[in-house]
Amino acid sequence: MATATYPPPPPYYRLYKDFSENTDSAPEPPPPIEGTYVCFGGNYTTEDVLPSLEEQGVPQLYPKDSNLDYKKELRSLNRELQLHILELADVLVDRPSQYAKRIGEISSIFKNLHHLLNSLRPHQARATLIHIMELQIQQRKQAVEDIKRRREEAQGLLKDAFVTLDGQ
Amino acid sequence: MDIISQLQEQVNTIAAITFNAFGTLQRDAPPVQLSPNYPEPPATTTVTDDATPFPEQPKQLSAGLVKAAKQFDALVAALPLSEGGEGAQLKRIAELQVENDLVGQELQKQLEAAEKELKQVQELFGQAADNCLNMKKPE
Repeated sequence: MATATYPPPPPYYRLYKDFSENTDSAPEPPPPIEGTYVCFGGNYTTEDVLPSLEEQGVPQLYPKDSNLDYKKELRSLNRELQLHILELADVLVDRPSQYAKRIGEISSIFKNLHHLLNSLRPHQARATLIHIMELQIQQRKQAVEDIKRRREEAQGLLKDAFVTLDGQ
Repeated sequence: MDIISQLQEQVNTIAAITFNAFGTLQRDAPPVQLSPNYPEPPATTTVTDDATPFPEQPKQLSAGLVKAAKQFDALVAALPLSEGGEGAQLKRIAELQVENDLVGQELQKQLEAAEKELKQVQELFGQAADNCLNMKKPE
């Protein structure tokens, strides 16, 4: 007997045999995932928020403070990065077998730098919104001044016309 | 490009220069004996390596790395971070929204007054035109 070109459908298609007559006879789809889940080895989350460094498995090298001085922390991380690069060069000369630890530390510093910069995005969005609102207020005030000036000009023209008419 | 994106690009540039710097260092560095138990390399090769001056490319890459780090510091100094943080920003947004509403109402009031005056002027113009027509004698 000749075999089919394509394999048969999965056996669970029989579960949908009566779907056209009765939609409830078919099984329900799985519920949406809430919270975190693993996809191809990476941690993802359904919440649309920047994940913290601990959630990504990276040690946080700057203090957890709401009033964080971003500039100071970025500069100190930059200095620390340069020091670790020099240390890596020294380690490669004296103790080459210990390069992995230093590279891990350098990687952590890079991830912290990028996380700090991404944390600035909400602040940037709010600053952009403030700038747009200030521009809008300025434009509206300018429009109000323009309308007032045009009204005064129109009233002046009317007054002059009345004076001319009375003079005739 | 905004300054945060510039900073991110600068971090990536530092990473790339670091990678290339270590690559050239490993390529051009003279060999180091890991253990005294290993036999000595040929003397001619050692003499040749000692006589050769240190190549220029690792020096250039190291200088580029330091320059990139200084550029990062300059970009950090140029960050326009306002004082107060999130709370102050939200309060400022609320104040701007109130002011925006007030200016909007004022604008609406001015527009309505202007439209009213426009109608008055149009009525006056119509009356004047009618009076001119009425004043003409039939031919």
